[in-house]
Amino acid sequence: MKEHRKTSPARTRLSPFAWIGILATALFVGFIVILITADLFYIDRAALLALFTKPFILHALWMSLWTSVVTVLIALLFAVPIGYTLSRYHFRGRALIDTVIDLPIVFPPLVAGLTLLVFFSQTLLGRWIEQDLGIEFVFQPKGIVLCQFFVSASFAIRSAKTVFDEIDKRYEKVALTLGCTEWQSFRRVTLPLASRGIIAGCILTWARAFGLFGPLMIFVGSFRGRTEVLSTTIFLEQSIGNIELALAVALLMIAIALVALTAIRAVGRRGMVKL
Amino acid sequence: MIGAEGLTCRLGEFALRAVDLTVDAAEHFVILGPPGSGKTVLLECLCGLRRIDAGRVLIGEEDVTALEPRRRAMGYVPQDYAILPHLSVEENIGFGLRVRGADRAERTRKVAAMTDMLKIGRLLGRRPQGLSGGEKQRVALARALILSPRVLLLDEPVSALDEATRQEICSEISRIQKRLGLTTLHVSHNLEEALSVADRAGILMNGEFKQIGTLDDLLRRPRTADLARFMRCGNIFDGQAESDGSRSAINVDSGRIIVNGTYRGAVSVVVRPENIVVEERRAEQSLGENHFPVGLGRASDLCNYVRVDLDGPLAMVAHLSPAAYGALVRRARRELIARLDCEQIHVIEESRDSPPHRSRAD
Repeated sequence: MKEHRKTSPARTRLSPFAWIGILATALFVGFIVILITADLFYIDRAALLALFTKPFILHALWMSLWTSVVTVLIALLFAVPIGYTLSRYHFRGRALIDTVIDLPIVFPPLVAGLTLLVFFSQTLLGRWIEQDLGIEFVFQPKGIVLCQFFVSASFAIRSAKTVFDEIDKRYEKVALTLGCTEWQSFRRVTLPLASRGIIAGCILTWARAFGLFGPLMIFVGSFRGRTEVLSTTIFLEQSIGNIELALAVALLMIAIALVALTAIRAVGRRGMVKL
Repeated sequence: MIGAEGLTCRLGEFALRAVDLTVDAAEHFVILGPPGSGKTVLLECLCGLRRIDAGRVLIGEEDVTALEPRRRAMGYVPQDYAILPHLSVEENIGFGLRVRGADRAERTRKVAAMTDMLKIGRLLGRRPQGLSGGEKQRVALARALILSPRVLLLDEPVSALDEATRQEICSEISRIQKRLGLTTLHVSHNLEEALSVADRAGILMNGEFKQIGTLDDLLRRPRTADLARFMRCGNIFDGQAESDGSRSAINVDSGRIIVNGTYRGAVSVVVRPENIVVEERRAEQSLGENHFPVGLGRASDLCNYVRVDLDGPLAMVAHLSPAAYGALVRRARRELIARLDCEQIHVIEESRDSPPHRSRAD
């Protein structure tokens, strides 16, 4: 076997085509690593310590975490039924609905914030919700969740639809003949098979919500201790010249994002979830 | 017994059109048809997976048209088996029992009994991804049978298997069907598969049953030229018939075929390849009735028989035993004649579903 390995051309020689791929990968990965490393060298110990001692940063961290998690949960409530409906049912206007669902993904960030602001401050329905019903979103923590949901839920819906598309309908049909109602077939067959894709979509949604900045600045502002999240902390700190602290917060966000991406990989490697 | 009365189901441009079907209790009925003829759609309509536009589905005397699939008590094995990939073999087989609320002990007992019958006990702990096609087929069958269905619906159950496994599974299906006395509807596009299991069969084309009957009827007495072609009748000649009493002469392209019975006008003559006798022409022997001079053309040895194209004024295809073919080849310089037996010739009066043409397809 050893001799075979030594002489095998496939193991020792790479084609020019393969080298192009390797080079592109090395350049891109190197670029990201260099940028993060440069940030690491720029910050000092005091800035790192401040991450865990400054109350406004801890508050922003807490705000970022809870709002993004709540956003994911709400997005999940919409993503599963919408994704399933778009995947399984064919009806007039389906393509249009599909496109509208994707719109927030391509919205310029500031436009998303502006749109929400205009709706709640300039339209009858928006003012009725804010003033008559008393459910306030503008410049309120609830507004952070709404803003994150508006911008990021499309990722969860898209992922859910894609994974439902990939599941053979025959599994559901067999389940129906084996005694399942439609709901049981969905819960016992479709949902476990879709779990990986749905979870991956949730993580993408969370990552998008967690790092949101532009729309939040317009719709809820950045009131310290109230509507400030980590992304707006970075903006505020760098705008007053506190670059070290801004970078420390940025690295904290990168670390959290890294955990999230690792979680995606872990979910991808695991088997399907039994429900 | 399962039946369909005037079953109609429209799917875009395709439609099942007023399908009538009755399958007797404990009968193994095969729905034959080319791909796209509506076989799977019909099966799905029968088990309630597809909404029908008109008609009724009956099990025994009970009208089950309005019932959900789970209340019809039909065991369904779809094409490619649809073994649930997130469950083990044991969980797959016991899935229906679990949904219906059976406790663990009952599930274990019934799964063991079923796997014993199908000889798949060793697979219980395995995941579906590691199973062979034949193993998946048995698991799907066990999963359907464990609920003691009133009717078993099999959709192309062996089409994805290799030839050896296909024969083995067909025998297995047949054995279990007879043992349990289970009314079975079996969809297939494969004639050999149908021949190996069916009590009766129906040929579905373009959403309609063109003929229903015993396999002997379908093979030897197809109602149309298209059916004859589907049943691989081999030699189909279009011609004009003239009758003189109890016999008729049919003028085909380059010959005259004499048949029993009274026929007039446009007809198709069907002669199965295995019913053609090829023999050496003796010296000075004149050509008798239904004797045609032929030469041996391209031959394919298909193990049990040799398929030979016969060249001559009336081109035909014959199935000969390897020994008979070998003997003919050894005397290749002699003249040969093909002899058709009147009793084995089937006549179809006028082509009902296709323009007249001659076919020598197998």
